[in-house]
Amino acid sequence: MAAYDGLRQQVEELALRLVLTGPESSGARIVETWSRALQTLQEEAVREGASALAEAARGVLRAMQISDPASALQDGIARLQQALETRAADPAETSLAQDPELLADFVLESREHLASLESQLLVLERDPCDSEALNAIFRSFHTIKGLAGFLGFREIQVVAHEVETVLDQARNLKFQVTPAAIDVILSSADYLGRWLNYLSPAGQNAEMHAPSLDPELLAQIGLIPSLAERAGRIEAKQAPDSQRNELANLAAAVETVEIEELTPSPEERKAEVKRRGETMTVKVNTAKLDYLVDMAGELVIAETLVRHDPELVKVKNARLQRNLAQLTRITAELQKTAMAMRLVSIGPLFRKMTRLVRDLSRQFGKPIDIQTEGDEIELDRNIVEELADPLMHMVRNAVDHGIEPLELRKSLGKPGTAKVLLKAQHQAGQVVIELSDDGRGLDRHKILARGLEKGLVAAGSVLSDSQIDELIFKPGFSTAAQITNVSGRGVGLDVVRRHIEKLRGRIEIRSQTGQGTTFLLKLPLTLAIIDGLVVGVGSERYIVPLFAVRGIFRPKEETIWTVQQRAEMALIRGSLVPVIRLYQRFGVPPHSEDPQKGVLILAEVESQKFCLLVDEVIGKHEVVIKSLGETFAKVAGIAGGAILGDGRVGLILDLDKLFRDKGNGARR
Amino acid sequence: MSTSLAAKNEISSAVAGETRAGKYLTFQLGQEEFGVRVLKVREIMGVQEITRVPQTPPHVKGVINLRGKVVPVIDLRLKFALPAADYTQRTCIIVTQIMGESGLILMGAIVDGVCEVVNLAAADIEDTPDFGEETAGQYLLGMAKVKGKVKILLDIDKVLCTQDLDQLNAIVK
Repeated sequence: MAAYDGLRQQVEELALRLVLTGPESSGARIVETWSRALQTLQEEAVREGASALAEAARGVLRAMQISDPASALQDGIARLQQALETRAADPAETSLAQDPELLADFVLESREHLASLESQLLVLERDPCDSEALNAIFRSFHTIKGLAGFLGFREIQVVAHEVETVLDQARNLKFQVTPAAIDVILSSADYLGRWLNYLSPAGQNAEMHAPSLDPELLAQIGLIPSLAERAGRIEAKQAPDSQRNELANLAAAVETVEIEELTPSPEERKAEVKRRGETMTVKVNTAKLDYLVDMAGELVIAETLVRHDPELVKVKNARLQRNLAQLTRITAELQKTAMAMRLVSIGPLFRKMTRLVRDLSRQFGKPIDIQTEGDEIELDRNIVEELADPLMHMVRNAVDHGIEPLELRKSLGKPGTAKVLLKAQHQAGQVVIELSDDGRGLDRHKILARGLEKGLVAAGSVLSDSQIDELIFKPGFSTAAQITNVSGRGVGLDVVRRHIEKLRGRIEIRSQTGQGTTFLLKLPLTLAIIDGLVVGVGSERYIVPLFAVRGIFRPKEETIWTVQQRAEMALIRGSLVPVIRLYQRFGVPPHSEDPQKGVLILAEVESQKFCLLVDEVIGKHEVVIKSLGETFAKVAGIAGGAILGDGRVGLILDLDKLFRDKGNGARR
Repeated sequence: MSTSLAAKNEISSAVAGETRAGKYLTFQLGQEEFGVRVLKVREIMGVQEITRVPQTPPHVKGVINLRGKVVPVIDLRLKFALPAADYTQRTCIIVTQIMGESGLILMGAIVDGVCEVVNLAAADIEDTPDFGEETAGQYLLGMAKVKGKVKILLDIDKVLCTQDLDQLNAIVK
């Protein structure tokens, strides 16, 4: 294995040499300088039994003799690499990389490093002198290189190594990092990202083919120092009295140092927190976490049972009461902590968006300054993952449609650099994510015209501003006159809204013409807990998700109307809403079939309203959602189960399904 | 890796083979006594409150809360088309761990009462006689004779198999 690696290294070195130095002009000299290297390679390959490689090397040597050596060499190196690949594909070859667990760990860890170095690069771009960021980036590449080397991913190792070398020079102040250099480093990070996608066992966006080693990328990385130097020289030339500048810089530096010493900047404090966080993280199997959450929930139930035990209640002992209260507090705290362990911070997602804005800002030629707030806010891991797509879409929309072109901004007297703010905060038990730009805002005339054109609005109807704003969430709505490759394919905000609603969230919009637009995403903290309305039908208990409940009514005689003796409608607040009798759907004997003795629950799913007739409303309860397992996967109308306060299992209703197949209830 | 594969093969062939000997938990259902492999049994509990799940066949009684886990429960009497009986003090739920479509799952079976754990040698076990198509021969591992009594050994994986449930579901619909 080691010898094989040696061969690979030799081929890579040859390839690098070819790329970096380029084939020398005279044909005779190429043959002279390269044939020796190729011969050694061939001999070694034969010794190691890598016949494909030996054959390829021999072929290159032969080709160089008979045809144009420069081009033969170009082709030949490619063929050598191919030969290496075939060797790698040899099933008899075993390596550490075939251990799925090791591989998964590698992908996970490398992804984390890539994410962190990406954000650090953006920090570095703002302040090229930030040695802390530079060191962090260096470390990340170094770690990835080490891991890749351990598992034998040559390509990753080579690229990471090159970048690391360049970064090391930057660290030693050989040159200053320019935006162009950051571009190259980012694209090498992207290259590594593609590799990880290829390697990840069940990636969502898995790439089918291994990304080939791009010589151009390597050349670019190699050129970074010289690029930077040139840029530096030009800068120096442009500033005639550079010495005075330098002095000013120095003075400024001294000033900032003083300030920093007095009060550590928020970023620094954050970095410190993050560093501490990194060292304290433990990866835990989610099954274990689930078990812990289960047990914590059971502890709360058991504690309630003990506390309300009639024998115990009779005891009037102050010490016992105090201890019981303490027990209650601790169990509640334990449950809360167990639940919180599933949460992750939204920071990485925000950093992804920062990167996106940077790329888009280049692409559109619109200078944009993006700020993020509340990176430390924590959300359910699944929500953060599911949020990536819709948020990306919204950011693109903001940059593409929201923010005006530079010239227009200038002529309007706005600052040339646009502002985008991404902010997360807690609000009333929810997390609110705010995306605002200072662009042109929604053009309500255009939206209304478009709505009329698409038939989304009846002609002649008068809509309020917020009703007009709502239109942009309708399917098939897109006002962009010109379809760009970024946004405006008509699969816009309606998809975003559906995504958000799937996460049990809501999306709101605030806009002021000429001032900008703000999108508010209101999301639950976690998908594992649901606020439910516990209702009773006969002796059964069901849980109605509270986010869909719009009202609770006790029907009067004139509330319920029968349509053609079959369907029932309820007249609520002047509109007719279909009624579903839950006891009928589920075949459960109710307390009473008379609707006036029951309760109507008005629910809304995907902007369609309907009523659910139940016997009674028992109360509001926060429950942990549990799957009913494969046994009941096909039961319509039930989304899952939950343990109620008395230890019984309650079934959570799937309102969407209940409503959709309201025609074919079980009538047993 | 190859060694572990071989080991796995050995295990599966052992299970598939005729080594039915081992410890069995026996329980009563009507007048008959049945047995399931002790290895499959996770826990035995008294009947507790069961939450009915709508639109399921009658033998599926619903779900229970087993220390925070939601576990489906099946009434074996109804499953085997025996007349339903009221639950008594002796009625038990045997919680078993069976192979589902997506891995191991827990499943409860309601029985009239558990009897004992018996150690059966291969010689005690006979193949199921051919009853014709009527009886559910596919659920049976074999018959055991213990102290002059016959005990019916169940292949609990097949008895509580969810695919079966899906078919029943389809019929009900």
